[in-house]
Amino acid sequence: MSDTPEPPTDAQSIPDPTDGPQYCAYTDYRSGEVPEDAVVPKNGADSEGHERAVWDALFEVEDPEMPVSVVDLGLIYDVAVTEDDAGTHAEVTMTLTYTGCPARDMLLDDVREAAASPDGVDDASVELVWSPVWSVEFVSEAGREDLREFGVSI
Amino acid sequence: MASARLGAPGDLSEREREAVEALLYQLADDEFVVADRYTDWQCQGPTLEADIAIANIAQDELGHARLWYDLLQDFGYEETELIWEREAEEFRHATLCEQSFESGDWADAVVRSYFYDVAEFLQVEALAETSYPRIADRIEKVNGEEHYHREHAQNWLERLCEDAEGTRRVQAAVDDLYPYALTLFEPTAKEDDIVELGIRPTPLAQLREEWYDLTGAFLDGLGVSVPDREALDDLVAEETGRDGSHTDDWQRQYNELTYTYRMLDRTEARRLMADPDEV
Repeated sequence: MSDTPEPPTDAQSIPDPTDGPQYCAYTDYRSGEVPEDAVVPKNGADSEGHERAVWDALFEVEDPEMPVSVVDLGLIYDVAVTEDDAGTHAEVTMTLTYTGCPARDMLLDDVREAAASPDGVDDASVELVWSPVWSVEFVSEAGREDLREFGVSI
Repeated sequence: MASARLGAPGDLSEREREAVEALLYQLADDEFVVADRYTDWQCQGPTLEADIAIANIAQDELGHARLWYDLLQDFGYEETELIWEREAEEFRHATLCEQSFESGDWADAVVRSYFYDVAEFLQVEALAETSYPRIADRIEKVNGEEHYHREHAQNWLERLCEDAEGTRRVQAAVDDLYPYALTLFEPTAKEDDIVELGIRPTPLAQLREEWYDLTGAFLDGLGVSVPDREALDDLVAEETGRDGSHTDDWQRQYNELTYTYRMLDRTEARRLMADPDEV
């Protein structure tokens, strides 16, 4: 394997396509960490009451393509439960990994139904947001385990 | 001077809202129509990888179309009125997007995506400074899904221009598509407001200059020539799309796009089957 070129080691060394044809520019694997002051994703660690119940239900919702929870995938940005005369309402704020996601409606429906499922929660709605942009660093340690077991390198 | 930040969808003045809508229709229709055209190449690409790549690029652009149509839905429009029941002449995409492909000519597909993706890159870069928060929230996501489109087109252009026959085909596609590519920078009726209100602070005319410099330098390096800068104004295709004028190719594409919807006599975009939870 001595003829194998060394892979690039950082973003700057990814070849400029205008230098000549490059057939595999992405051989660079990096890992990063979510900054400590990051506001998303959330996992409901400190939640209680109805919100705790909603988070528990969301942990049961899996990505349609891979056996990993949407919470561990880092898609859930917030859960808020409010009560008024109309009842108890859960509002989930979430993102998707990809704008062209063909399972978008299915996933949003699954999340909405799960959020409305706990006893004492009357209904739920989902707001889809694209900022902050999801990145692979948002996947939790448990999610990484699930993905590795499934055969995805992360 | 930086423009004031605009408010939420429901808080816009009539002038602001009309300008935002005009820009969104232009962005969404470009993405939707070019994506649909790319799918003509699905299962026809010259190699398996090329096939998968262009299908994936089509999927990206459909995703971006959806992001922009979503923001039109903020104003109360439904998917049916935005796409399936909108009249063909109400679409505002540039006529580059709708051109049918020269049969079997991969250079046509590559040159088109190169022209389109450089223009989109410049447009997205300009929108990073937008005064409309709903667009600002989406720009970084779109940008992250765009850069490899340009890499793809540039790599293919380089491969095609490695020999004389390939270069000839690229040159022919450049010559044919150039008048339509210029329509990407033709203004809608609301261009002045779009710029003044800072929704896209950079005028399309300036984006065209940047596009001309970028694409011209790259193609020149491959031995492919482009028109003189002074000739551009006269070269723009008569049908620009931005004012609702389109080429015959669009009517055919529109008929095909909406065929199933009409054939099934849909009055709404229904599901294939009832939701089992609701039965």
